[in-house]
Amino acid sequence: MSAASSYRLLFGLAVQNLGRRQSRTLLLVVAIAIASAVTFAGVVAMRSVVASMQVGLSRVGADLMVVNQDALTNLTDALLTVEPTDSTVAADAISRAEIRGIARLAAQRILRTERSGLGGAGELVDLIGFDPASDFTILPWLSERLAGPMRPGDVIVGAARNLPLGSQAVIFGLPFRVYGKLARTGSGTQERGVFLQASSLLGLAGAVRERTGTLPPMLVPERVTGFLIQLAPEATEVQARFALLSKVPEIKVIAGGALMTGIRQGLVALLAGLVGLVIALSASTAVMVMVLFSAIMAERRRELGLLKAIGARRSQIVGMAVTEAALATACGGAIGVILGLLLLRLFERALVHHLGEMGIPFLWLDGPGTIAIAAACVVGAAVVGIAGALVPAWRMGRRDIHDLLWKEG
Amino acid sequence: MLACRALAKRYETDRGPVDAVRGMDLDIEAGCYAAIVGRSGSGKSSLMSMIGGLSRPTAGRVLIGGTDIWSLSEAGAAAFRNQHVGYVFQFASLLPNLRALDNVELPARLAGKGSRREITGRALERLADVGLDSHADAFPSELSSGEQRRVVIARALMNEPRLLLADEPTSDLDEQTEREIMALLRDINRSRGTTLLLVTHNLSLAAKAERIIHIANGVVVP
Repeated sequence: MSAASSYRLLFGLAVQNLGRRQSRTLLLVVAIAIASAVTFAGVVAMRSVVASMQVGLSRVGADLMVVNQDALTNLTDALLTVEPTDSTVAADAISRAEIRGIARLAAQRILRTERSGLGGAGELVDLIGFDPASDFTILPWLSERLAGPMRPGDVIVGAARNLPLGSQAVIFGLPFRVYGKLARTGSGTQERGVFLQASSLLGLAGAVRERTGTLPPMLVPERVTGFLIQLAPEATEVQARFALLSKVPEIKVIAGGALMTGIRQGLVALLAGLVGLVIALSASTAVMVMVLFSAIMAERRRELGLLKAIGARRSQIVGMAVTEAALATACGGAIGVILGLLLLRLFERALVHHLGEMGIPFLWLDGPGTIAIAAACVVGAAVVGIAGALVPAWRMGRRDIHDLLWKEG
Repeated sequence: MLACRALAKRYETDRGPVDAVRGMDLDIEAGCYAAIVGRSGSGKSSLMSMIGGLSRPTAGRVLIGGTDIWSLSEAGAAAFRNQHVGYVFQFASLLPNLRALDNVELPARLAGKGSRREITGRALERLADVGLDSHADAFPSELSSGEQRRVVIARALMNEPRLLLADEPTSDLDEQTEREIMALLRDINRSRGTTLLLVTHNLSLAAKAERIIHIANGVVVP
């Protein structure tokens, strides 16, 4: 027996104290459970909405497209891919210009050729090279794919191409595996296109030169056909266009649908607001716990004085109060997670099911992510309890024992 | 055993400072039964709080067995109170959610010394010393006022302190119970050699002490 015994004693006292005022403890647990349920359900739903938005709004296309000023563009579609053209732009033109207000930047190379070997004889095929890591307009349209991530030897085909998943596509004499297939986009280039990783497209340079006798400019590593840009929430299309045109020479900037850009930016701002709301909720709960524990400490003033008189150290007094608060609030947090799961179930029945019927995808957060948020809610609730109890307990622990035993207030 | 040197306590109030104890010098021998008497507001409770390590003096020193208790760290002072001083307060000072046995065990368990079995055995002995070993499992609300006070005395003796401080220990008890409690305290003082310092305004109780210290206006009256 040692210090562990005194800690066991104080832990036991903390548990017993919770049982002394059952209605008050219950109220505290319920308050924390409600806050925790709202936080858990809110965060899980919000993360799911963000994931769904990233797919759904990316399908709307980019906000801006940047191509060479000599490129011919006749856009009526959403900005999902750049336009096939032989006029190219330096691959680092935009990153070097350090334009503010750009949230995402995806470079693309498009080789329009009738000698790829795909399709019928003389059929024009768009070979689109993109970087899956920075892409935000192609992968959201994936309707089916093989398991695992896309590899350099893989291609994704547009909806109009009749190639089954896992089959082999021979392009300029080189074999590729059909990794995925896009849904119908309504964009001709994308529906008929064949999408490769940029490195794979550049890897075709030798074969292309051999068959065509020339090396198309977009197959030079330092050049790209163009860029697709998604703006940051605070940036406007006019500002970004002006900055691009003033800093990057010999380019043309084409804007997508201003309405959808506005909707996307607005939703991102709304989500940021919701995060703020969750933080404010947690802070107000912490203040409530602090007020409650100030009252509890004041009520137990004489008992705390007695414990100190017979040898309890300040740290033991604080530890007991903090343990009591942490137990109650962690318990509330755990109950809150269960309530939150029920709320999410209601949300799923009320909204997600409806969205599914309308063909709008809703991507739930995965299991590990949900478990991590649940654990964070329980730990967060305990931290709120500890933070709320710490100050009043510390202040009480510092008071003169005589004052605790005999003075009021 | 106990020495106070130039001990003073000043309280700041809305109506200005109040000097409860003014530069008091006091010596009490080991094993002595001393009573501090005085009218309400004379400073006797403030003096006992400073002697017991419950209230920091404004000036002066308190030496118990040669240790200047107010020069100790917070943890050191807590350990000193735990090991060397026992308290019997004028109010029911038992934790209501603990059984009598658990209340008596408290000082030993806070100290974290000894096995649980050894502590329980010792606590049962202390309860037997005050005639309440059959009430070990009773909660304070199931005990009479006199029995509660006996449990408090058992708890005060748990770590076998050198100094037992009793502040108006019988103020809310009937005459018969008062006599029993005072007899118990006196017996502890005699049989264990524990120095007993009793604070009371009851002169008949004080009369049974070996030494009576009169206090008025924060000073010892000769």
